[in-house]
Amino acid sequence: MRARRGRKWVRLGKRIASHVVLIVACAFALFPIYFIVITSFSTLPVASITAQVLIPKMSQLSLASYHAILYSQSPSFVSLLGNSVIFAGSAALIGLLLAAFTGFALSKFNFPGRRTFVYFILLISLFPSFVLILPFYLEFAKLGLIDSYLGLIIPYSAGAVVFSGILVKNYMDSIPDDIEEAALVDGLSRTQAFFRVLLPLCYPVLGLAAFLAFVGPYTDYALAHVFLTSSDKWTLALGLYNVANTDTGQSNYGLVTAFAIVMSIPIVAFYMAFQRYIIGGLTLGAVRG
Amino acid sequence: MADLRDQTLSFRLRREWPAYVYLLPTTLVLLFLNAYPVAYTIYISTTDFGTGGKGSLLSYHYIGLSNYVYALTTGLSTTTALIENSFFWAAGSVALFLLIGLGLATVLNQEIRGKTVYRTIILLPWAMPAFITILIWANMWGYSYGIINGVLNSVGIRSVDWLQHTDTAWAALFITNVWLSFPFYTVVFVATMQAIPRDLYEAASIDGASGFSQFFRITLPYLRPTIVFVGLMGFLFTFNNFYPIYLITSGGPGISTQIFITESYNQAFGSLGATPAFSTAALYSVIDFVIIITITVVVIWRTDLTRNWLK
Repeated sequence: MRARRGRKWVRLGKRIASHVVLIVACAFALFPIYFIVITSFSTLPVASITAQVLIPKMSQLSLASYHAILYSQSPSFVSLLGNSVIFAGSAALIGLLLAAFTGFALSKFNFPGRRTFVYFILLISLFPSFVLILPFYLEFAKLGLIDSYLGLIIPYSAGAVVFSGILVKNYMDSIPDDIEEAALVDGLSRTQAFFRVLLPLCYPVLGLAAFLAFVGPYTDYALAHVFLTSSDKWTLALGLYNVANTDTGQSNYGLVTAFAIVMSIPIVAFYMAFQRYIIGGLTLGAVRG
Repeated sequence: MADLRDQTLSFRLRREWPAYVYLLPTTLVLLFLNAYPVAYTIYISTTDFGTGGKGSLLSYHYIGLSNYVYALTTGLSTTTALIENSFFWAAGSVALFLLIGLGLATVLNQEIRGKTVYRTIILLPWAMPAFITILIWANMWGYSYGIINGVLNSVGIRSVDWLQHTDTAWAALFITNVWLSFPFYTVVFVATMQAIPRDLYEAASIDGASGFSQFFRITLPYLRPTIVFVGLMGFLFTFNNFYPIYLITSGGPGISTQIFITESYNQAFGSLGATPAFSTAALYSVIDFVIIITITVVVIWRTDLTRNWLK
């Protein structure tokens, strides 16, 4: 009897401990996000960033920072957003096409040299991308592509190609060969079968590939900082960096956080909506279940 | 279509040739935007580009392995510091990711009320674009205006000059990095744990195995392939994770938190006006690449990581 009651207490203790651990983890996860959100609505001057900013009075809340970000920035927010969409959108479109072709070839063909090709692209993809900025810069300077749209779209397009290609391959592996064979029996060529039958079945993974190819350029600072000299071609990432790092050493937290929120919203929404799928994709099928 | 494997090369070529057409665009992209730049970087590392002191930036010469000799003699202390920092940064981060991820996953894998809510909140940091949140963290660690010192002050602790001391600078980097990555590791481990057959645990319970020994005898062996995979990927990624170091400490104080990738970027594009030391930047890039390749080849050779990609 006593032993059973003892076990009950142990189980209760365990449950409480579990909740404590999870609450601490959630507090840690939420703290910076809470700070960003609350500060973006705050009217407190920069110098008084103390803990009191975290528990604001209603009268200290306003949309002034958002108004300032959207209407009185130079270059304007619309211009930054437009450039980001041009760069990241083009990269996503090209990256998507490359990933679809690569995935198809690797999944549905047993061509001589397949294994060598996979090792080749894995090896290539190991070279850290930040290191490529230097050769890109030197080469593109010779070609006169610095500070042009094309000059940045080209390296961006290559960014996710290996990763997305393998992502699409893994997805296509799960589509039975019978489906393609049935299309061939119906008189379609292999290319027609690919475009009309196989690709429509791959929309989810293609969406993910396009998204991943979009996020990289959308949040790239290192390459854009080197390549874009005139501010009318600046992207959101450069704009945010500029707001966050003023020469006086004290940034305007209201502006930084409001900018960060507006810039994050589309990405966060996508991640949260497709989290299961993205996590599965990111581990390249190494994690089952 | 594995049955084709036995057939002759010419038969396979006749049937499978369209694959080469589909792979052509990607191959071209990889050759021109990866392979060629890599080769070009290796070449630059054997020149005096930007470090020759010849006056004009565009007149540079092949100087063989002189840069490498320099890195191992006069510049040895910098090279050693970069190697140590890069490994410390990557290995330390991955150890924290794995420990915290496994711990939280074990807790989350129980029958516990509010599981979905906890899971959703824990995932939030991972959904925010890293560049943006790192920039915010960089401001949060500030001495005079950072919110972290603000919170410490409000509970009576004096402000810490986080980024001016090596120990606290590393602490700031690791805490930020854990915040960025622990959601992903936790969720991956939860997903893997859920695939472990329930009856294994039931059988173990009947045999009287404690929760502790169940974890080490069942859960951990089952998770091993996942741990190796995400551990390696995490290591390779963190070894070259540019933004946390660049935005938070800029490698400081001094070069005490500098890693290869950030030092390389600084040498090439660091200070406006100064002569960019392209050859030094290339040198550090090549050393970085050689280390990464070596680790990857060894791990792939000793494990069966690539089976999912090649089947």
